[in-house]
Amino acid sequence: MQLDAPDFIARLKQGDRTAFGQLVKEHHGFLLSTARSLLSPADAEEAVQDAWIAAHRAIGKFEGRSQLRTWLTRIVINQARMMLRKQGREIQFDPTDDNDVLAHRFREGGHWQHAPRQWDLGGPDSLLTRDELRHCMAKCLDGMPENQRLVLELRDMQGMDFDSICNMLDISASNVRVLLHRARARLFELVDHFQETGEC
Amino acid sequence: MLKCKEVVEKADALVDGTPLSWRERFALRLHLMMCHHCRRYVRQLQSLVASLRNRTPPPVSDDQVSKVMNQLDSKS
Repeated sequence: MQLDAPDFIARLKQGDRTAFGQLVKEHHGFLLSTARSLLSPADAEEAVQDAWIAAHRAIGKFEGRSQLRTWLTRIVINQARMMLRKQGREIQFDPTDDNDVLAHRFREGGHWQHAPRQWDLGGPDSLLTRDELRHCMAKCLDGMPENQRLVLELRDMQGMDFDSICNMLDISASNVRVLLHRARARLFELVDHFQETGEC
Repeated sequence: MLKCKEVVEKADALVDGTPLSWRERFALRLHLMMCHHCRRYVRQLQSLVASLRNRTPPPVSDDQVSKVMNQLDSKS
Protein backbone atom coordinates (compact mmCIF):
# COMPACT_ATOMS: atom_id res chain seq x y z
CA MET A 1 0.00 0.00 0.00
CA GLN A 2 1.44 3.37 -1.06
CA LEU A 3 0.81 5.64 1.94
CA ASP A 4 1.01 8.85 -0.06
CA ALA A 5 -1.38 7.66 -2.77
CA PRO A 6 -4.53 9.81 -3.26
CA ASP A 7 -6.88 6.90 -2.48
CA PHE A 8 -5.09 6.21 0.82
CA ILE A 9 -5.24 9.89 1.77
CA ALA A 10 -8.94 9.89 0.85
CA ARG A 11 -9.48 6.96 3.25
CA LEU A 12 -7.68 8.87 6.01
CA LYS A 13 -9.86 11.91 5.41
CA GLN A 14 -12.98 9.75 5.60
CA GLY A 15 -11.91 8.63 9.08
CA ASP A 16 -10.91 5.06 8.12
CA ARG A 17 -9.45 3.68 11.36
CA THR A 18 -7.51 0.86 9.67
CA ALA A 19 -5.84 3.34 7.33
CA PHE A 20 -4.87 5.55 10.26
CA GLY A 21 -3.41 2.50 12.03
CA GLN A 22 -1.30 1.81 8.94
CA LEU A 23 -0.11 5.40 8.99
CA VAL A 24 0.93 5.06 12.64
CA LYS A 25 2.71 1.76 11.97
CA GLU A 26 4.66 3.30 9.09
CA HIS A 27 5.71 6.60 10.62
CA HIS A 28 5.67 6.26 14.43
CA GLY A 29 9.32 5.14 14.66
CA PHE A 30 10.60 8.01 12.52
CA LEU A 31 8.50 10.54 14.43
CA LEU A 32 9.79 9.26 17.78
CA SER A 33 13.30 9.52 16.48
CA THR A 34 12.69 13.13 15.44
CA ALA A 35 11.13 14.02 18.80
CA ARG A 36 14.07 12.43 20.65
CA SER A 37 16.38 14.90 18.90
CA LEU A 38 14.78 17.59 21.04
CA LEU A 39 13.31 15.88 24.10
CA SER A 40 13.94 13.20 26.71
CA PRO A 41 12.60 9.74 25.74
CA ALA A 42 9.53 10.11 28.00
CA ASP A 43 8.71 13.61 26.72
CA ALA A 44 9.28 12.45 23.14
CA GLU A 45 6.67 9.69 23.60
CA GLU A 46 4.19 12.24 24.90
CA ALA A 47 4.93 14.75 22.13
CA VAL A 48 4.44 12.12 19.41
CA GLN A 49 1.22 10.89 21.01
CA ASP A 50 -0.07 14.47 21.10
CA ALA A 51 1.07 14.92 17.50
CA TRP A 52 -0.98 11.89 16.40
CA ILE A 53 -4.05 13.39 18.08
CA ALA A 54 -3.40 16.74 16.35
CA ALA A 55 -2.81 14.99 13.01
CA HIS A 56 -6.01 12.94 13.38
CA ARG A 57 -7.98 16.15 13.94
CA ALA A 58 -6.29 18.00 11.08
CA ILE A 59 -6.10 15.25 8.43
CA GLY A 60 -9.25 16.61 6.75
CA LYS A 61 -7.33 19.79 5.95
CA PHE A 62 -4.23 17.99 4.59
CA GLU A 63 -3.74 19.45 1.12
CA GLY A 64 -1.06 17.07 -0.12
CA ARG A 65 1.43 19.87 -0.81
CA SER A 66 4.08 17.86 1.02
CA GLN A 67 4.47 14.17 1.73
CA LEU A 68 2.56 12.83 4.72
CA ARG A 69 5.84 12.11 6.54
CA THR A 70 6.91 15.75 6.15
CA TRP A 71 3.52 17.00 7.31
CA LEU A 72 3.58 14.70 10.35
CA THR A 73 7.17 15.63 11.19
CA ARG A 74 6.24 19.31 11.17
CA ILE A 75 3.43 18.58 13.67
CA VAL A 76 5.81 16.62 15.92
CA ILE A 77 8.40 19.41 15.87
CA ASN A 78 5.72 21.96 16.77
CA GLN A 79 4.55 19.77 19.66
CA ALA A 80 8.13 19.31 20.85
CA ARG A 81 8.86 23.05 20.69
CA MET A 82 5.63 23.79 22.56
CA MET A 83 6.65 21.31 25.26
CA LEU A 84 10.11 22.89 25.49
CA ARG A 85 8.58 26.38 25.83
CA LYS A 86 6.47 25.12 28.74
CA GLN A 87 9.75 23.98 30.34
CA GLY A 88 11.19 27.46 29.73
CA ARG A 89 13.47 26.31 26.91
CA GLU A 90 13.68 27.39 23.30
CA ILE A 91 15.66 25.91 20.40
CA GLN A 92 17.78 28.51 18.62
CA PHE A 93 18.66 27.83 15.01
CA ASP A 94 21.33 30.51 14.81
CA PRO A 95 24.52 28.48 14.36
CA THR A 96 26.92 31.15 15.64
CA ASP A 97 26.95 29.78 19.19
CA ASP A 98 29.09 26.73 18.47
CA ASN A 99 32.49 26.33 16.83
CA ASP A 100 33.50 23.86 14.18
CA VAL A 101 35.09 20.93 16.01
CA LEU A 102 37.50 20.31 13.11
CA ALA A 103 39.02 23.81 13.38
CA HIS A 104 41.92 22.60 15.55
CA ARG A 105 43.08 20.26 12.79
CA PHE A 106 44.26 23.08 10.52
CA ARG A 107 47.34 25.30 10.55
CA GLU A 108 46.88 29.04 10.49
CA GLY A 109 47.28 29.00 6.71
CA GLY A 110 44.31 26.64 6.36
CA HIS A 111 46.19 23.42 5.52
CA TRP A 112 46.01 20.19 7.50
CA GLN A 113 47.99 19.97 10.69
CA HIS A 114 46.28 16.75 11.84
CA ALA A 115 44.92 15.09 8.73
CA PRO A 116 42.28 12.35 9.11
CA ARG A 117 43.46 8.79 9.54
CA GLN A 118 42.70 6.06 7.03
CA TRP A 119 39.50 4.42 8.31
CA ASP A 120 38.89 0.73 8.17
CA LEU A 121 35.91 0.73 5.78
CA GLY A 122 34.54 -2.56 4.53
CA GLY A 123 31.56 -0.99 2.76
CA PRO A 124 28.99 1.77 3.27
CA ASP A 125 27.28 -0.16 6.09
CA SER A 126 30.35 -1.31 7.93
CA LEU A 127 30.95 1.79 10.03
CA LEU A 128 27.89 1.35 12.16
CA THR A 129 27.85 -2.42 12.33
CA ARG A 130 30.32 -2.34 15.24
CA ASP A 131 28.47 -2.20 18.54
CA GLU A 132 31.17 -0.15 20.27
CA LEU A 133 31.10 2.52 17.58
CA ARG A 134 27.30 2.60 17.58
CA HIS A 135 27.42 3.16 21.33
CA CYS A 136 29.97 6.00 20.90
CA MET A 137 27.84 7.50 18.16
CA ALA A 138 24.75 7.47 20.42
CA LYS A 139 26.79 9.22 23.15
CA CYS A 140 28.02 11.81 20.66
CA LEU A 141 24.45 12.46 19.48
CA ASP A 142 23.32 12.88 23.09
CA GLY A 143 26.00 15.51 23.66
CA MET A 144 25.31 17.40 20.45
CA PRO A 145 23.45 20.76 20.52
CA GLU A 146 19.77 20.08 19.77
CA ASN A 147 19.71 22.26 16.67
CA GLN A 148 22.55 20.26 15.06
CA ARG A 149 21.06 16.93 16.14
CA LEU A 150 17.66 17.77 14.66
CA VAL A 151 19.08 18.87 11.31
CA LEU A 152 21.27 15.74 11.16
CA GLU A 153 18.26 13.56 11.99
CA LEU A 154 16.08 15.13 9.30
CA ARG A 155 18.69 15.27 6.56
CA ASP A 156 21.04 12.34 7.08
CA MET A 157 18.92 9.81 8.93
CA GLN A 158 15.56 10.48 7.31
CA GLY A 159 16.80 11.76 3.95
CA MET A 160 14.62 14.89 3.85
CA ASP A 161 15.47 17.50 1.22
CA PHE A 162 16.86 20.89 2.18
CA ASP A 163 13.75 22.83 1.12
CA SER A 164 11.52 20.76 3.40
CA ILE A 165 13.89 21.23 6.33
CA CYS A 166 14.11 25.00 5.78
CA ASN A 167 10.32 25.30 5.58
CA MET A 168 9.75 23.06 8.56
CA LEU A 169 12.17 24.88 10.86
CA ASP A 170 11.66 28.29 9.27
CA ILE A 171 15.39 28.85 8.85
CA SER A 172 17.59 29.74 5.90
CA ALA A 173 19.31 27.13 3.74
CA SER A 174 22.70 28.51 4.76
CA ASN A 175 21.90 28.00 8.46
CA VAL A 176 20.76 24.43 7.76
CA ARG A 177 24.01 23.76 5.92
CA VAL A 178 26.17 25.21 8.71
CA LEU A 179 24.33 23.17 11.37
CA LEU A 180 24.60 20.02 9.25
CA HIS A 181 28.30 20.59 8.60
CA ARG A 182 28.98 21.00 12.32
CA ALA A 183 26.98 17.91 13.25
CA ARG A 184 28.79 15.81 10.64
CA ALA A 185 32.14 17.27 11.74
CA ARG A 186 31.46 16.09 15.32
CA LEU A 187 30.69 12.58 14.10
CA PHE A 188 33.69 12.60 11.78
CA GLU A 189 35.92 13.58 14.68
CA LEU A 190 34.41 10.81 16.81
CA VAL A 191 34.90 8.09 14.16
CA ASP A 192 38.45 9.26 13.46
CA HIS A 193 39.29 9.07 17.15
CA PHE A 194 37.60 5.68 17.45
CA GLN A 195 39.57 4.33 14.51
CA GLU A 196 42.78 5.28 16.31
CA THR A 197 41.97 4.29 19.88
CA GLY A 198 38.95 1.95 19.75
CA GLU A 199 37.33 4.26 22.32
CA CYS A 200 34.79 7.09 22.24
CA MET B 1 44.08 27.54 -4.96
CA LEU B 2 41.66 26.44 -2.22
CA LYS B 3 42.99 25.72 1.24
CA CYS B 4 42.27 22.34 2.87
CA LYS B 5 40.03 24.04 5.45
CA GLU B 6 37.91 25.49 2.63
CA VAL B 7 37.67 22.09 0.95
CA VAL B 8 36.39 20.59 4.20
CA GLU B 9 33.79 23.36 4.42
CA LYS B 10 32.65 22.65 0.85
CA ALA B 11 32.83 18.86 1.10
CA ASP B 12 29.23 18.68 2.34
CA ALA B 13 28.08 20.12 -0.98
CA LEU B 14 29.81 17.22 -2.76
CA VAL B 15 28.19 14.69 -0.41
CA ASP B 16 24.75 16.29 -0.79
CA GLY B 17 24.99 16.82 -4.54
CA THR B 18 24.40 20.56 -4.08
CA PRO B 19 24.91 22.39 -7.38
CA LEU B 20 28.18 24.37 -7.44
CA SER B 21 29.33 26.98 -9.92
CA TRP B 22 31.81 25.68 -12.51
CA ARG B 23 34.49 27.81 -10.83
CA GLU B 24 33.86 26.20 -7.41
CA ARG B 25 33.69 22.73 -8.92
CA PHE B 26 36.92 23.27 -10.85
CA ALA B 27 38.73 24.59 -7.76
CA LEU B 28 37.55 21.63 -5.67
CA ARG B 29 38.48 19.04 -8.31
CA LEU B 30 41.90 20.62 -8.77
CA HIS B 31 42.58 20.59 -5.04
CA LEU B 32 41.35 17.02 -4.62
CA MET B 33 43.59 15.85 -7.47
CA MET B 34 46.60 17.14 -5.61
CA CYS B 35 45.75 16.58 -1.92
CA HIS B 36 45.36 13.00 -0.70
CA HIS B 37 44.38 14.15 2.83
CA CYS B 38 41.36 16.01 1.45
CA ARG B 39 40.50 13.11 -0.88
CA ARG B 40 40.48 10.87 2.18
CA TYR B 41 38.35 13.35 4.13
CA VAL B 42 35.72 13.52 1.37
CA ARG B 43 35.68 9.73 0.84
CA GLN B 44 35.30 9.04 4.56
CA LEU B 45 32.67 11.72 5.02
CA GLN B 46 30.68 10.09 2.20
CA SER B 47 30.94 6.72 3.98
CA LEU B 48 29.85 8.24 7.26
CA VAL B 49 26.77 9.90 5.73
CA ALA B 50 25.92 6.72 3.80
CA SER B 51 26.04 4.77 7.09
CA LEU B 52 23.69 7.25 8.76
CA ARG B 53 21.25 7.02 5.86
CA ASN B 54 21.15 3.25 6.16
CA ARG B 55 19.97 3.45 9.76
CA THR B 56 16.29 2.86 10.32
CA PRO B 57 14.40 3.31 13.59
CA PRO B 58 13.44 0.10 15.43
CA PRO B 59 10.22 -1.44 14.05
CA VAL B 60 6.99 -0.28 15.64
CA SER B 61 5.19 -3.07 17.51
CA ASP B 62 1.46 -3.73 17.21
CA ASP B 63 1.20 -2.82 20.91
CA GLN B 64 2.61 0.65 20.23
CA VAL B 65 0.15 1.15 17.37
CA SER B 66 -2.74 0.02 19.61
CA LYS B 67 -1.63 2.41 22.34
CA VAL B 68 -1.70 5.34 19.91
CA MET B 69 -5.07 4.29 18.48
CA ASN B 70 -6.60 3.85 21.95
CA GLN B 71 -5.48 7.34 22.91
CA LEU B 72 -7.05 8.68 19.73
CA ASP B 73 -10.32 6.93 20.55
CA SER B 74 -10.38 8.34 24.07
CA LYS B 75 -9.63 11.92 22.89
CA SER B 76 -12.09 12.05 20.00
